[in-house]
Amino acid sequence: MLEVKDLAVAFGSIAPLSGVTFSLAKGETLGIVGESGSGKSLTAMSIMGLLPMSDGRVTSGSIVFDGQELTTLNESDYCKLRGGRIGLITQNPMTSLDPLKKIGTQVDAVAILHLGMAKKKARANTVDILHTLRIPEPALICERYPHQMSGGMKQRIVIAMALAADPDLLIADEPTTALDVTVQAQIIRLLDDLVKQRGLALLLITHDMSVVAQTCDRVVVMYAGRAIEQGPVLDIFDNPQHPYTQALVGCIPRDLKDGEKLTSIPGTVPTVLNYPEGCKFHPRCTRAQNICTTVQPELDRNGDSAVACHFAGASI
Amino acid sequence: MSNLLEVRNLAKKFTSSGGAFRKARTMHAVNDVSFDLPEGRVIGVVGESGCGKSTLARLILRLIEPSAGTLHFNGEDLRAKTPAQMRDLRAHMQMVFQDPYSAIDPRYTIERAVLEPFLVQGVKPIDGAAAQVEALLNMVGLNPGLADRFPHQLSGGQKQRVGIARALALRPSLLVLDEPTASLDVSVQAQIIGLLEQLRDELGLTYLFISHDLSLVRYFCDEILVMYLGRVVEVLPDTNGQACHPYTITLMNSTFVPDPKHRRVIRPLEGEVPSPFDLKPGCAFADRCPQVSEICRAETPELSKHSGHLVACHNPI
Amino acid sequence: MINIIGKKIGAISWLRRSPLAKAFNSWLGKIAGGFLVLLLLTAIFAPWITPFDYAAQNLMNGNAPPAWPHLLGTDQFGRDVFSRVIYGARTSLSVSVTAISISIVAGMTLGAAAGYFGGIFERVVMTIVDLTWSFPDILIALIFVAIIGPGLTSTIFAIAIAYLAQFTRLTRAQIVRLKQETFIEASINLGGKPRHILLRHLIPNAITPVIVIGMLAVGDGIVLEATLGFFGLGAQPPTPSWGAMMSSGTAQLFLSPWVIIFPGMAVAATVIAVNLFGDELIRALDIRDRLKEA
Repeated sequence: MLEVKDLAVAFGSIAPLSGVTFSLAKGETLGIVGESGSGKSLTAMSIMGLLPMSDGRVTSGSIVFDGQELTTLNESDYCKLRGGRIGLITQNPMTSLDPLKKIGTQVDAVAILHLGMAKKKARANTVDILHTLRIPEPALICERYPHQMSGGMKQRIVIAMALAADPDLLIADEPTTALDVTVQAQIIRLLDDLVKQRGLALLLITHDMSVVAQTCDRVVVMYAGRAIEQGPVLDIFDNPQHPYTQALVGCIPRDLKDGEKLTSIPGTVPTVLNYPEGCKFHPRCTRAQNICTTVQPELDRNGDSAVACHFAGASI
Repeated sequence: MSNLLEVRNLAKKFTSSGGAFRKARTMHAVNDVSFDLPEGRVIGVVGESGCGKSTLARLILRLIEPSAGTLHFNGEDLRAKTPAQMRDLRAHMQMVFQDPYSAIDPRYTIERAVLEPFLVQGVKPIDGAAAQVEALLNMVGLNPGLADRFPHQLSGGQKQRVGIARALALRPSLLVLDEPTASLDVSVQAQIIGLLEQLRDELGLTYLFISHDLSLVRYFCDEILVMYLGRVVEVLPDTNGQACHPYTITLMNSTFVPDPKHRRVIRPLEGEVPSPFDLKPGCAFADRCPQVSEICRAETPELSKHSGHLVACHNPI
Repeated sequence: MINIIGKKIGAISWLRRSPLAKAFNSWLGKIAGGFLVLLLLTAIFAPWITPFDYAAQNLMNGNAPPAWPHLLGTDQFGRDVFSRVIYGARTSLSVSVTAISISIVAGMTLGAAAGYFGGIFERVVMTIVDLTWSFPDILIALIFVAIIGPGLTSTIFAIAIAYLAQFTRLTRAQIVRLKQETFIEASINLGGKPRHILLRHLIPNAITPVIVIGMLAVGDGIVLEATLGFFGLGAQPPTPSWGAMMSSGTAQLFLSPWVIIFPGMAVAATVIAVNLFGDELIRALDIRDRLKEA
């Protein structure tokens, strides 16, 4: 469905993203996980052709969606794709909703624009979608304005807008970060159901390892603008190969026995402006050797998994 | 072990003033909260946004004036203190704030920020200012070379360490931690939690730890207060304790574990958190509760012992 | 000696790093700022620059057109216009800067107190301050002239009061916003007294936009000073003031236009330079949003 190969993005002379490779099949949930500044949101923006700032551009690599190359696509074709065959869910629902328009009108507009539906049919479609999203009294909700709803409800409306044109791929960029845990759980369940029932492909971008554990089939771990490890979710959590992934898994409190401590990663995430030479993780890595300071490790593929580390394997 | 902090029936009402077309409305941000914090313990307060946990932290430090209830710190009645007496007492009870980005005056160097506690309390740093700054920065794992930097030159984790250094400068006995890691990356969160654990052991601190993250609270705290709409609904005496309140159970089931082998089965949760304005009588969770019965809508449940710990529920599980 | 040089270099590098220096980065800022520096130097060193005594009359050479040695001509009493324009810069700048300084100090005190303490006190202060804003500047000046007679003191007070509301409102808005910041809560939590919170946190964080607006107000102050001088309410003869000079020139507007044109140009150039430089400063410090608050 989606195939990203060796993607690199630059803003002028700054190269915040490079060597990003992954693929996503129908009915699959792929998680992109990383800390702030890892380039996970930028990856999503590149796929959507929404690179911020005028000088941002894809410098190399390819993005193929359903057999169509996206990096060379012109703007008007992209517009048909966005909101049509690719739906986007953002972190802050308020930025996706027009505060001056009724909910119904906003969701209708997507179907009218992309599927050429008549107004009446679009509204029926909207009510249908709101119903599948378990929104009570959908017809009534259509007549409300965004400010009359809670954060969790607004996020459901955003999901409804993403679904209105019956997309094949859903990109969700931190869809639950701004929400409370009980609301997050409901939204995650909703997304899960959508993937299973509609056979959607879901690209879930998050910083939260437990959300990944809960929902994803496969995971891409990003650090400092590179995909450093990927594989099936069980392998990533139970048998991580990259030292960063290993540390990241150890950072989250889970049922630790008494006296067991959280592991932490010394130092801080580098910013685009001070990326180190060689492997971007080497200043914080316990396994770093001389070669790590000079040579950038390439993604080494092994079946369904891949890792970019000179000393991959063996746990800490 | 004596109680460092005793909170009894603490409450805070905010009243919005009415106008020509509006009725005055009362919001119960914190309602009838009581607990003891023994010396050396770590009590966690967990709840979702709007449950009153941050207000509770500020009430305990008297940064907000309580509407009702009593507060005793080290046996002294805090609510009877004059503002001047309260200022002196603040040396013994400190707070680490959620947002390290705005918790330090942007015009202050790190050195000046770390020395501010001494200045406002009129205390001369032992061995001189420079040595004190160095000692404090070392204590929180920061390079003393950062002393002449400004906050905007530091990362979030570094700023939070400065916040901790400021809070600990005057050697308080109680530290209130208001979501100290909520705005940090996970790897940095683990660093800060590790630092807080180490400091507790070294300095014999007592913590009140406010968080929305149940798994973090379970990892870090000895005892957990679960709050919903201004009230404590359950007190889990230890982190392995079995929850009895339907809300706590919902919260636990909504908190994912970072282990794909143990995925949660998420049950649909009806309705939304009710508005904290003009609360109806009865249990605030009644409209969403699977265990709801007649009495829940009529009578607000009090905290009472059930299977060994305090629960505020008419039909505990 | 070396020490002195060291200090000098220290002062220069401080100047380079100061926000004022940032406004010099653009060419517009360079031109406007350069003009203002030149004007300031001219005003300070007026006695050494002017070729003639500004008050020396020479009735035999009245209304002489610009020519050597009277570069900008002479007025009806034969006084050198060039010398008078330069001394006029002294009057205009010192009156405006003094008045605005008084206004800033008073406005910041009132605004900070109102914003910090709030309640009834805030309402009373802001109402009174807003009242001063609703009076025309000229009317305020007339009141002072009526009380203490015409002259520069009246002018200074009139300008100071005319701008009081602006500084008070701007300061209050900043303080009210800053009071919500976590670092203020943190400082209170450390045991900071109101004095400490106000003087060490709130005012230092609020001062930059006030100073910038003050700088812009100096330009307006110069215009107001010239206006009052023009109506004979400001500087009294023989004190040279751009406004008074233009006023005395109106009688011979067609006979000797230079008497009125050059002080007029001086006012216009100064005000334009002040405004351009102020805009550059606002851009350099990135405080446009904070100025909108008031």
